[in-house]
Amino acid sequence: MPVILQGIVTILIGVGGCVAYFYVSNYVLDRFIFPAKGENIGRNINRANAVRPWLFLFPAIFVLGLYLVYPVVGSFVRSLYGRDPEVFVGLGNYTQLFGSETFQIAFLNNLGWVIVVPAASTFIGLVAAQLTDKLSWGSFAKSMIFMPMAISFVGASLIWKFVYANDAEIGLINAIRAAMGFDDPIDVLQIPFWNNLFLMVILIWIQTGFAMVILAAALRGIPDETIEAAILDGANPWQLFFRIKVPQIMPTILVVWTTITVLVLKVFDIVYTMTGGNFDTEILPSYMMDFMFRDDGRATAIAFVIMIVVLPVMFWNIRQARREMR
Amino acid sequence: MDNIAGQKSSLAWATNISVVALVLLWLIPTVGLLVSSLRERDQISESGWWKAPFPVELTARGRTGTQAAPDGDAFVVTGNIYDDEEARTYFPDGGGDVVAFGTRGVDPTEFAAGTTADLGDGESLTVNADGTYRWVTPEDPGDRGQRVYFAAQSPPEFTLGNYRQVLTADNMDRAFVNTLTVTIPATVIPILIAAFAAYALAWMDFPGRGLLIALVVGLLVVPLQLALVPMLNLHNRIGIGQSFMGIWFAHTAFGMPLAVYLIRNYMAGLPRDIIESARVDGATDFELFVRIVLPLSLPALAAFSIFQFLWTWNDLLVAKVFLPSDDASKVMTVKIADDLLGSRGGDWGILATAAFVSIAVPIAVFFAMQRFFVRGLLAGSVK
Amino acid sequence: MKPIRTLLAGAAALALGPGYAAAQDLEFEIGEEPFSWDSLEAFRSAHDFSGESIDITGPWTGRDAELVESVIAYFEEATGASVNYSGSDSFEQDIVISTEANSAPNIAVFPQPGLLEDLAQRGAVTPLDPETAEWIAQTYAAGESWVDLASFEGPDGNENLYAFPYKIDVKSLVWYVPEQFEEAGYEVPETYEALQELTQQIADDGVTPWCLGLGAGAGTGWPATDWVEDMVLREAPPEVYDQWVTNEIPFDDERVVAAIDAYGWFLQDGFVNGGREAAATTDFRDAPSGLFSFPPECYMLKQATFIPTFFPEGTEIGVDADFFYFPAPESGDLGQPVLGAGTMFAITVDSEAARGFIEFLKTPLAHEIWAAQGGLLTPHKEINPEVFPSDSQRELNDILLDATTFRFDGSDLMPGEIGAGAFWTQMVEFTTGSQDAQATAAAIEERWSGLGQ
Repeated sequence: MPVILQGIVTILIGVGGCVAYFYVSNYVLDRFIFPAKGENIGRNINRANAVRPWLFLFPAIFVLGLYLVYPVVGSFVRSLYGRDPEVFVGLGNYTQLFGSETFQIAFLNNLGWVIVVPAASTFIGLVAAQLTDKLSWGSFAKSMIFMPMAISFVGASLIWKFVYANDAEIGLINAIRAAMGFDDPIDVLQIPFWNNLFLMVILIWIQTGFAMVILAAALRGIPDETIEAAILDGANPWQLFFRIKVPQIMPTILVVWTTITVLVLKVFDIVYTMTGGNFDTEILPSYMMDFMFRDDGRATAIAFVIMIVVLPVMFWNIRQARREMR
Repeated sequence: MDNIAGQKSSLAWATNISVVALVLLWLIPTVGLLVSSLRERDQISESGWWKAPFPVELTARGRTGTQAAPDGDAFVVTGNIYDDEEARTYFPDGGGDVVAFGTRGVDPTEFAAGTTADLGDGESLTVNADGTYRWVTPEDPGDRGQRVYFAAQSPPEFTLGNYRQVLTADNMDRAFVNTLTVTIPATVIPILIAAFAAYALAWMDFPGRGLLIALVVGLLVVPLQLALVPMLNLHNRIGIGQSFMGIWFAHTAFGMPLAVYLIRNYMAGLPRDIIESARVDGATDFELFVRIVLPLSLPALAAFSIFQFLWTWNDLLVAKVFLPSDDASKVMTVKIADDLLGSRGGDWGILATAAFVSIAVPIAVFFAMQRFFVRGLLAGSVK
Repeated sequence: MKPIRTLLAGAAALALGPGYAAAQDLEFEIGEEPFSWDSLEAFRSAHDFSGESIDITGPWTGRDAELVESVIAYFEEATGASVNYSGSDSFEQDIVISTEANSAPNIAVFPQPGLLEDLAQRGAVTPLDPETAEWIAQTYAAGESWVDLASFEGPDGNENLYAFPYKIDVKSLVWYVPEQFEEAGYEVPETYEALQELTQQIADDGVTPWCLGLGAGAGTGWPATDWVEDMVLREAPPEVYDQWVTNEIPFDDERVVAAIDAYGWFLQDGFVNGGREAAATTDFRDAPSGLFSFPPECYMLKQATFIPTFFPEGTEIGVDADFFYFPAPESGDLGQPVLGAGTMFAITVDSEAARGFIEFLKTPLAHEIWAAQGGLLTPHKEINPEVFPSDSQRELNDILLDATTFRFDGSDLMPGEIGAGAFWTQMVEFTTGSQDAQATAAAIEERWSGLGQ
């Protein structure tokens, strides 16, 4: 199969190329441009150290700039234009958005998603990580909880259709209701307010495994001495967990939280396939897809609102990074 | 002492039980998917997947024969309803006992099996549990038998047909290879690039570092839909066009913020004294990175690689935009979405199977990597 | 030796690619009855594109893709060109991206005119010549309405024909199971009034007359828009319909509100399987199953020509299930309006061969090949009706040929945010009963008037 060969060759070229770039550029820097010898040795070392970070960063900055920063800037400019890319409307798209009822619903729902999903996934993941930590069959349990991570969003939506369906013959919830003696099936996706939570459950189900795996690693990373000292001080298991372990792994919790938040802001598939945004379940990413490729001005404006929603998490991260640097 | 030991074992019990509960809760939907993937479309919409292992009562219909034997003034038709071709289509694996029958669609279970139904005008019909019937009619039935509706037990039915259809679809092997061709480089290359950048952001001092970190976090949320059209334009202009090369670049770039973010955070948590002492020993940053930081960061690299692998594996959008749409370069997700589902979007059986086939490889990868993963994670406990 | 040879053969097959695979199997042998082979021969003698190749992208996948490829095979056979068809489930998104990125195929098959109009205005579509417009007007039943449908203002402000309509879906159909009708003693209604009476009668008998499902994932709600469009055509003259879909009259015009209410009449308690709330989320692909259960969960389903794909396996149309025309009111003189949808071939990257392909679509044979395998309806007046595989397909096509008024699916003609957005979601709200017709229409009108410039 030539495709396989091509793939292997690419991996080799890609990986080899990357390694070669880093190696050669460092070598050239240290040997030829600012050699750490001769009369200017001190100055040269300093100069080399000032340049080196940029050598390390260059490929990442290059692809980020080209594939993400440039389109973001372009999109921001686009969001100032109307449906017709020639007509400048200033902030018209934004003011119109905030005036529209659907957008307000989507915005509020999205806030709910951004709070509930990361919180629930991280919390359940943390509990699962702690509980499975000492179990003999812990890694099996972890694999089972991790499994939903591997399922595509469309597949996941299908799975949950078999849970939520408005028919006691197909939907698990209604089957359980029927077994308990309620005759009329309910459509959980049409119950105002709660339907949003039912949709969030799907993403929580998917993301908990991720949180658990990362947090389990972090929990194991806590030095034994810390834990032993706490036990000697008479801490009970609850105190040990919430007072000692959780604060220790706070940086990791932040990472998990951020990663899941980011995902929440990108996932439109679940709402898209489950309710199509009806029954007041619209969220910003799926609302954006309604405009995408039709009214790009409006779509890009929504994209920028999405980015604003994530600002608090960004600030939290930057503060954390500052603290680490000290 | 006893007290503490008792507390400990009851705690262990509680832990075991709650983990079992959690695992079951998490597993139920997936089991539903697995069971559904083994059923036919008609059955999936007929009964819940949890009922699949049990025989179901199915309502079917057929017609009696027309071979009438005169009996006094009347004609008698006897036979077995399961001999009727139409009735048999409902029970490909043979039907069970007939429970009830009727002659009208609105009330298909009007009469219990074994009883004689009076159809008026001297006409009557009896259907027994084994499917045999006796139809008495005052007129010669001609060439059209009596319509019979009946309810009978149907044995549980599983099929590998969905899997056969998904796995043997034309060029599916090709699509599988294509998917691997996309995912592996798209997972490996960003890790390398990101690891260097993460190291610089975590352990090297230079002006603008804080700003760059903020930028990376900010770029995490960029919806990639924004980048699709400008990037495809760019690829066309520089001659890459729609190709594997293009999609590797695209995935590398789209995965980059998360990679840098995850790996940088991990590296920043590494013990300062190890790195300082290596620096004192005269190691250059390059050596320091390759010999010390990179091996210590394996858990983070593994975590990200799983994330990126799953993402590229399940990706549909980027593949559609950056790969040509001919059969030779379709990946599995595109193949399934376009060729298998397409106009048959309602075929839950195929959908379930496709979802299952597509998780098989990531799960295998996860299991295979788990030992390495756990070891890497334990190695990370130097903190 | 043997393995090497097989390997080589495999490589050769790969190298020759899809063109080779398609050209070798013609579905019907040339000369076989009852096809119009002379039209192919005439086309063959006038066109030769040996060595050229064209790309076609369209919305057809799965079985439909095989069918369109079986038609394309005759074009390849006659001209020597090689054609690469690729179908996509998300065609609309793909074509926008590929035209913006200059990687468009030669021909794109548009499932709805709204998107085509957008692209035509941006200059991404090449206009067809005026003779083609004339040809359609003369050869298609209700030809002028087809020409109007595919004609738009181009970037230069001139109105041109931009696409060639081919393969039509009829939407004004009601599907039923003849045997259940017969058993219960129901008659197929000839007028709209009779349909209402029948609905009432079935409900009075203690059973449910209609199956209805609006669920379609992101597209949830569209089946209800078909209902409303058919109602508008039955409440008001076609000119009102045209003004409605272009927003010349507001969406909450009283005649449109009346049409939404007319649809609402069918949602009364006991008229819809599972009740109106369940109907809003029942998947439209699952809705037909109610017709075929015992006892029947419903007796009628209003849906377009494509729906038999979702009937239980082995259902024979005309025997196990059949359809009737969603009838027009006896009162008034609105004739027999037919609502439909259809696909249109447009040239996105011009070439001789691409234009040749449009010419090929004018031959009756291009329609007959697909029609003979089922699933294609055409207003082409010169095709041989004998090619249809069953009487019911022929009757279906007759509905199209006899239409006094043909109107294209209005939601496809409206701007995407309305026709594939607000109209859908608001109809879901109306169907569940959470708002009345006036509020529904007003909400859509508000969205429409608020559209960005």
